[in-house]
Amino acid sequence: MEPTEQNLLVVVMDVNPAQKYVRSDIKSFFHVVDSVLTFCNAHLMLHADNKVCIIASHVNQSHFLYPLEIRPGQQSKVTRQTDGQHEVFLELERCVRNQIKRLIMDESFGKFDSSAAVIGANTATCLASSLSRALCYIHRKDKETRPGEKLNSRILVVSGSSESTAQYMAFMNGVIIDACVLGSYATLLSQGADITGGINLRPPHISGLLQYLMWVFLPDVTLRKQLALPPPDPVDYRAACFCHRQLIDQGHVCSVCLSIFCKFSPICTTCNAVFKAPPMVLPKAKKKRPAAGNI
Amino acid sequence: MGVLEHFKECKTLLDYLRTLPADVIEELFGFPSPCLAIFRELPKLAQHYVLRILYVEQAVPQAVVASWVSQANVKEHTQAVEALNRIRVWNEASMPGGLPGWILHHLFRHNLKVALLGGGQPWTNTHNMDSSDPKARSIKDLDAYALERWEVMLHYLVEKPQKADSVSRDTITTLTHAGLMEQDANSYPTITNEGFQFLLLDTASQVWYFVCKYLETVRTRNLNLAECLNFLFSLSFGTLGKDYSSEGMSEPMLNFVQHLREFGLIYQRSRKAGRFYPTRLAVNLSSPSRKIHLDTDKHKTGFIVLETNFRLYAYTDSDLQLALVRMFTDFLYHFPNLVVGNVSRDSIRQALRNGISADQIISFLKMHVHPEMIKTSTTPNNPLPPTVVDQIRLWEMERNRLTFVDSVLYNQFLSQRDYEVVRDYAQDIGVLVHMNDQKRTVVVTKNGHDDVKKFWKRHSKNS
Repeated sequence: MEPTEQNLLVVVMDVNPAQKYVRSDIKSFFHVVDSVLTFCNAHLMLHADNKVCIIASHVNQSHFLYPLEIRPGQQSKVTRQTDGQHEVFLELERCVRNQIKRLIMDESFGKFDSSAAVIGANTATCLASSLSRALCYIHRKDKETRPGEKLNSRILVVSGSSESTAQYMAFMNGVIIDACVLGSYATLLSQGADITGGINLRPPHISGLLQYLMWVFLPDVTLRKQLALPPPDPVDYRAACFCHRQLIDQGHVCSVCLSIFCKFSPICTTCNAVFKAPPMVLPKAKKKRPAAGNI
Repeated sequence: MGVLEHFKECKTLLDYLRTLPADVIEELFGFPSPCLAIFRELPKLAQHYVLRILYVEQAVPQAVVASWVSQANVKEHTQAVEALNRIRVWNEASMPGGLPGWILHHLFRHNLKVALLGGGQPWTNTHNMDSSDPKARSIKDLDAYALERWEVMLHYLVEKPQKADSVSRDTITTLTHAGLMEQDANSYPTITNEGFQFLLLDTASQVWYFVCKYLETVRTRNLNLAECLNFLFSLSFGTLGKDYSSEGMSEPMLNFVQHLREFGLIYQRSRKAGRFYPTRLAVNLSSPSRKIHLDTDKHKTGFIVLETNFRLYAYTDSDLQLALVRMFTDFLYHFPNLVVGNVSRDSIRQALRNGISADQIISFLKMHVHPEMIKTSTTPNNPLPPTVVDQIRLWEMERNRLTFVDSVLYNQFLSQRDYEVVRDYAQDIGVLVHMNDQKRTVVVTKNGHDDVKKFWKRHSKNS
């Protein structure tokens, strides 16, 4: 008897209205939603045990779009088939569309759209929190599997946000992260995809998004090895410093907590370790050799 | 033919469909749910191909398809192509310019899109149903019902079925047709060797085998095979605990529903209820890797603990499960929720004599192994103690010490030379089974007899 394997796909969707492609043509956003939904249904179609989770990532917030939590005592509404579409697919589509609608109708959403974009304030999508949620979800599902079953999980990020180095965080873990970037090059995502063994792809046209999703991102890990997939882009492995959140080639690293700084500071802002001042003869020391302190 | 051989023959949905005539398959492509079911059963690579050309309305050159996989995986590619060809999901088409190409079956393409994206007709008339069921059934109720129905049938197989009122004529007909039972001298149906083997299969396989056999008989019941299959597939994509409407179904199809109700695949409060629930037995029917966990308080799927000292603990109250375990175990103690027994040489040989193979016993044990055993085992895929598994296999091999080969005996050679010539020739062409230099006898296989005879004639002419 083969151990049953389940495939869990977590899609993190960027719904930030400040995304470049959304600002240029609002219709293309709906096209992206359609493509992602069809893609999720195609994933469910591959195998009866396949599972999907969709998370919307927005400015300063992230929401689960599907599956919705069912509180005890709350009657879930029964979805009835209206045409030839498979019931499960219909339910997913309706649920996600309703959730996105609610998100857009929400007041805070509109506020960000007009004012924040003009002022140029922080309109970055909080991808990090969405990814953390995705990982938590995967972890929970992993714990819920019966003994003898295996859960293969991966995350797909569909985002058109310009790079935000403000959220530099490492997502090195056992889960594969795929990145589908709609727009300019995203350093953070490409690093994450590369480290976790995922794919980073930038489709040239949004109109062909579905075909790209089906081709590159739908096959699971075992099948990917057999396919001839597009060659990966070179990955920018520069890290962002913790003090000014800029990508740097060379910097100072705290020997205690491994925080990165572009300039020398006598006290680590993250863990408060005290360093000895650098010798004056070598003003351009590559790496700071700090005093070990009392540790 | 044993259940196992037959089972291998139509183990998966694709294998089963291959045994059907082409026009039935053509008809099946006309509905979304069979297309979805077929798609799910395709090899992974084949699924990938179908999805990639789902939106391509024209033929795609074969060379292009081949370029989608890396060079090292040509084998997988041919397998995928073959699977798609066999079931006729795509057909060969010539491209303008003489290149050979593939084109998806137009009905299949259309209906797979319908299933994925919507459009067309709903699968059942459920959308017309105004309200939810006032007496809705919970999933637990459905499980209990399905289990009870299925066990009644299995019980009927195991017990001496003198009281035939527990199951209907249709079930008995199907059981007899499937070769699981036969009429004995008193024209009472009794269980066959195949029946024993059937009992040890996992529930999912049992349901699939039984349904396959049942479908073979539908023609005699004036049912359209394609229509029945379509209904079964729609059922298998249903959601557990949800009700569906049986409105607008034809009279024979309603009959079909009644049969499924009897096997426990469907729950219906009454014949005229107008709505039905698929049970766990029916959901995902067509997927071969599915596992059915019909757990009630009394009956657990994982209930066996097997120790390296050949002692077996069965935590169950179910008479059926006890009867199954008893087939290859000597029981020592019987407690309200626990039975302790020994797996011994005699008990295993008893089972082997009934036509059950060691593999079946092992897979039965593996299937019903207690979750605690899986948790504590170092190899969760193989939680049984290896020593017991090996010993059961050895006990089976013990019985197979003799192998029978049809052969021909040559003796009474006139001279030692003649004997040696024949013996050497037989050895050279590899047909020699046995030889004895003292008695000057040579035994060759039946197939080799002609060659040896011709050689001997040639040889005696020459000398």
